[in-house]
Amino acid sequence: MELIKELRSKQEEIEGLKSLVTNACEEKDMREMAAEELLETVEEEKRLQHELFRSLLPKDEADERDCILEVRAGTGGEEASLFAMDIFRMYEKYAQKNGWKFDVIGIMESAVKGYKEASGTISGPGAFGKLKFESGIHRVQRVPVTEKSGRLHTSAVSVAVLPQADEVDVQLRNEDLRIDTYRSGGSGGQSVNTTDSAVRVTHIPTGTVVAIQDERSQHMNKAKALKILRARLYEIERQRLHMNRSKLRSEQIGSGDRSERIRTYNFPQGRVTDHRVGITHHSIADVMEGENLDVFIDALLLQEEMDAIASFAA
Amino acid sequence: MWARHVRDRRPFQYVVGNEHWRDLVVAVRDGVLIPRPETEAVVDMVRNVEGFADGWWADLGTGSGAIAVAVARELGPEGKVFAVDVSEVAIEVARLNVQRYGMQDKVEIRHGSWFEPLEDVKGKLMGVISNPPYIPTDDLPRLQPEVGWHEPKLALDGGKDGLEHLLHLCEGLSSVLKPGGFFVFETNGNKQSEFLVDLISTKWSSSFHNVEAVLDFAEIKRFVTGYRR
Repeated sequence: MELIKELRSKQEEIEGLKSLVTNACEEKDMREMAAEELLETVEEEKRLQHELFRSLLPKDEADERDCILEVRAGTGGEEASLFAMDIFRMYEKYAQKNGWKFDVIGIMESAVKGYKEASGTISGPGAFGKLKFESGIHRVQRVPVTEKSGRLHTSAVSVAVLPQADEVDVQLRNEDLRIDTYRSGGSGGQSVNTTDSAVRVTHIPTGTVVAIQDERSQHMNKAKALKILRARLYEIERQRLHMNRSKLRSEQIGSGDRSERIRTYNFPQGRVTDHRVGITHHSIADVMEGENLDVFIDALLLQEEMDAIASFAA
Repeated sequence: MWARHVRDRRPFQYVVGNEHWRDLVVAVRDGVLIPRPETEAVVDMVRNVEGFADGWWADLGTGSGAIAVAVARELGPEGKVFAVDVSEVAIEVARLNVQRYGMQDKVEIRHGSWFEPLEDVKGKLMGVISNPPYIPTDDLPRLQPEVGWHEPKLALDGGKDGLEHLLHLCEGLSSVLKPGGFFVFETNGNKQSEFLVDLISTKWSSSFHNVEAVLDFAEIKRFVTGYRR
């Protein structure tokens, strides 16, 4: 409503300025100033129209949320784990650039000190909205440091970005959860003393399993595991809703399809290509530093908007 | 130091002087029981009691004071915890932990055996919490060395069936709790919990209701809880 009012007043202003410009009896200076202002105001009007239009498009209410990032090494063995580490750090740097908070949840290291699996939370305004397009397979082509003969390898890393969910979004019922600890078996309690605090939570209805071991008390590991479990269940529900909606739309990007190859990082040629929008960026070093990720993200956001407009018009 | 840890099976928590428990880092030393992860759940049960935040609570056999501090941190302005222990070392360590979390105003430490130091608050308590010694004397020689060789017998030895102190606690409950008051005890497991639930809900059914055994994550009936009528 605010936007409409603003738009109306701009249009009135334009009318006023037009009459000033066309009114020949005014002084020359005055006319020039009015003409200049008219151009600015017309620009303004366009911007407002666009904004108004965007505000009418269906919005993903998860966009403003914090998110959970999960990176897993895929095909390519140890080299994939090294690239998983590079990718994970790329998002860490990108988060810092955006003023978001980045907390590591857990890292499983590979033999060469890469990451087999790594997860973290990213909190800050609009974190999920920008990072949601990152879900999918990221492919890397380079000569691994582990490679003696200098052959080019292709390996892959999968990335998942989930919006965070709280107790209100996902209500976990105790009877749906199975919680396993390393203290299972034996009499437990005062009879046992270990320093192992690992917890594995299983959501029985969906079979979703989350294991956390890097916090120092069982209580903290459980709290973290439940947080991730909530995000996973929320994502399942979102996907379901999304599927229903996108039946109406033909093309869909950022669908979060984890098996879709979305981007290729080619080190010898120093380029990064996003296959969904067909954009290639020629400074791979900047991208890995979290610098120019926005080139892709902005293009993807624009495409999402266009798709939404297309489906709106249809 | 490390040789003692490895060769003598000295608990790691005694070596470093701390145990991570819930979101706390609890100071521990020889002579006090190292708080166990199972016991973390006790605090969640207390939090589920209606109006818990403004009540007076007693943690009997507080040891390191872990439960008392964790509960105190959840309380409102009127709430308070009496942390009782008969051991001098425990009193000292509990005081350290209370200070570490700045809970001096919320936790009152009292030296003495079980209900003895609580004469002046009889009938005023919203809840009684206890993780008393409950291991049957006969089982003590077979404990894992970290526990059997190093942790205080005083905090582990529950007498013949391990029930000596638990029974004493059950008997004293009704006189300290106010009507509607809550209690939670940790036990050695299924046998003890079933026995206590049965005993309280038959012998003292006029004083207590909703008496039940609560499972730990290993599906063992680890706790007994209930309310005073």
